[in-house]
Amino acid sequence: MSFSNLLMKSTANPGVFLTVTRQGHVLRGKPPGVARTLEQRLREETVTDVEVAARVNIGFPQLKESRSAQLKTRLEHLKAQRASKQLEQLARNNKLLIDLDKVQQIYVKTTGQHDLRLLADHYGVFEHLYGSAYFVPRVPLTINYQLGEGLLSPVHNGNVIKPAEALKAPEISFDGKIDPITGKTATGDTYWTLVATNPDAHYSQQATECLHWFIANIPNGQVKEGQVLAEYLPPFPPRGVGYQRMVFVLYKQDSRLDLSSYQLAEQDYANLEKRNFSTLDFYRQNQEQLTPAGLAFFQTNWDESLTQFYHNVLKLKEPVYEYDFPKAYLSDQKFFPLKQPFNLYMDKHRDQKVLNKEYLERKLAQTHPFEGPEQPLRYPNAHAIRDVPSWLRTEIRKRRLGQGRVQDY
Amino acid sequence: MSRSARPLTSARVLHKIKALTTPQSTDYVVNRNPRNLERLRIAYKPGGYHLEKPGRSFWHTLEINTSGRYVSADVKHFENGIILSASTSEWAIKQQLYKTNDTAAFINLGRVLAHRCLQSGITEMTCNVDAVPGSKLQKLLQTLQDNGVSFKEPARLENTQPWDAERQEKPWDVSEQSLNTTEPPKTDK
Repeated sequence: MSFSNLLMKSTANPGVFLTVTRQGHVLRGKPPGVARTLEQRLREETVTDVEVAARVNIGFPQLKESRSAQLKTRLEHLKAQRASKQLEQLARNNKLLIDLDKVQQIYVKTTGQHDLRLLADHYGVFEHLYGSAYFVPRVPLTINYQLGEGLLSPVHNGNVIKPAEALKAPEISFDGKIDPITGKTATGDTYWTLVATNPDAHYSQQATECLHWFIANIPNGQVKEGQVLAEYLPPFPPRGVGYQRMVFVLYKQDSRLDLSSYQLAEQDYANLEKRNFSTLDFYRQNQEQLTPAGLAFFQTNWDESLTQFYHNVLKLKEPVYEYDFPKAYLSDQKFFPLKQPFNLYMDKHRDQKVLNKEYLERKLAQTHPFEGPEQPLRYPNAHAIRDVPSWLRTEIRKRRLGQGRVQDY
Repeated sequence: MSRSARPLTSARVLHKIKALTTPQSTDYVVNRNPRNLERLRIAYKPGGYHLEKPGRSFWHTLEINTSGRYVSADVKHFENGIILSASTSEWAIKQQLYKTNDTAAFINLGRVLAHRCLQSGITEMTCNVDAVPGSKLQKLLQTLQDNGVSFKEPARLENTQPWDAERQEKPWDVSEQSLNTTEPPKTDK
């Protein structure tokens, strides 16, 4: 820290480090250009072992169709597009509006799968669910929360859905007959498992998830005919923690599976201890029979409807959190601080409880027990403050204007 | 004063910083969602230099690349790189277009990207693209804004100390119900 340390370093290996004097200014450390930048130093500090951090793809591979055959049909289609007089007219008049539903349909079958994987990485979904493993979602999931009157709240990949909208179990549909490897319709019965978890919901153990919904042995995509192992529990992000993720993962089973060890009893519906879940452990135990195939997730944060939910369903006192901002760094208190206003300087270093008490007492002294606090001055700066020292004048002025610490009490 | 007698060493500074950053009680939760602090406006945002152009101070930003034949628009995160993209070279979009770099293509690209932004919950980003008024590019940016993407990213919430004059309103203290807005409810499209 001190200068003597640097001098010692320079004597130890003079070839690397020299104290440069430039126009009377001493340059500490290596000159710019030789010294590493902050970014370089941070990169060196957060270095990761490539072998340890190597990621494993646990999903389905995809067999691409022949490029030449694909190209042939596509070129034919594009040629027909360019020949269409009607389309040209629309395009030239800037009135061509393409069908977004159709775009979405093709997108989820082509480049959308990889884009969803990137986005899920951006939201830390794979990291918190599977550690170093990931998968490319091959089966598009359609999840809709019914809001009544024909209104839907769809789950895509990261959109915000409020707990009041997610009270009832959503309707889920996917193509259960699809073969995730070839993308074509498969023959024979298929079985699927759907797990909905929240990786941010646990109060004490950070790495544990909360299981919200678990349906196994879904035959041919008929979600209603699946074996419900855990009934749907709506998301319950506490007040003040911000946005939590709700992740729906669809697995393809090799055959019918017996997952009854995960069965949640009916009386344990709102028992959060029993709903502790680890996707990684679950996957490790069943990885021979299960392969992740679909993914959808949304974000949710607190709203007023949750107070009733905590009281009536979870039978808990509603927790309220607040973000803990880091405290300011204060240098050690000096016996004789120069150029510091003494009252503010002392306030920073005093016992905060004593300070709080002082401010509260002053406020209560000005509050009538029946008539409430004094009326604030209409023109606070128009009243002269006389015969007081300048620091007190500033204090009184700040108190009248509601600036500084008075706002906290 | 005994404290002033203690010399200020780097070890002592480090000790003080550690004491400040360790939570005081055991009763705390950690939200692991990496996008949470950005939504709450607390997360770190690079400052860049004030004369730097284009600026680096963003969580998400929009980038538009035009080539001779195609146009692509990407949303970039300052740490994770490109996280959302749409291009007229994509089969899903190209299939329905007449030309892949005319005005209609630019407008439709804006519609598709806005749709994807809404689906992924990333609706606020900075945009350092300079567009000539009335150009195709400007129409793309306008379409993005008309379809629910905002080019204003909120500033980072400052950590106010008790001795500061002003206090900032915390975003999580303001709930949607308390604002009493008359927004239309969400629909499928």
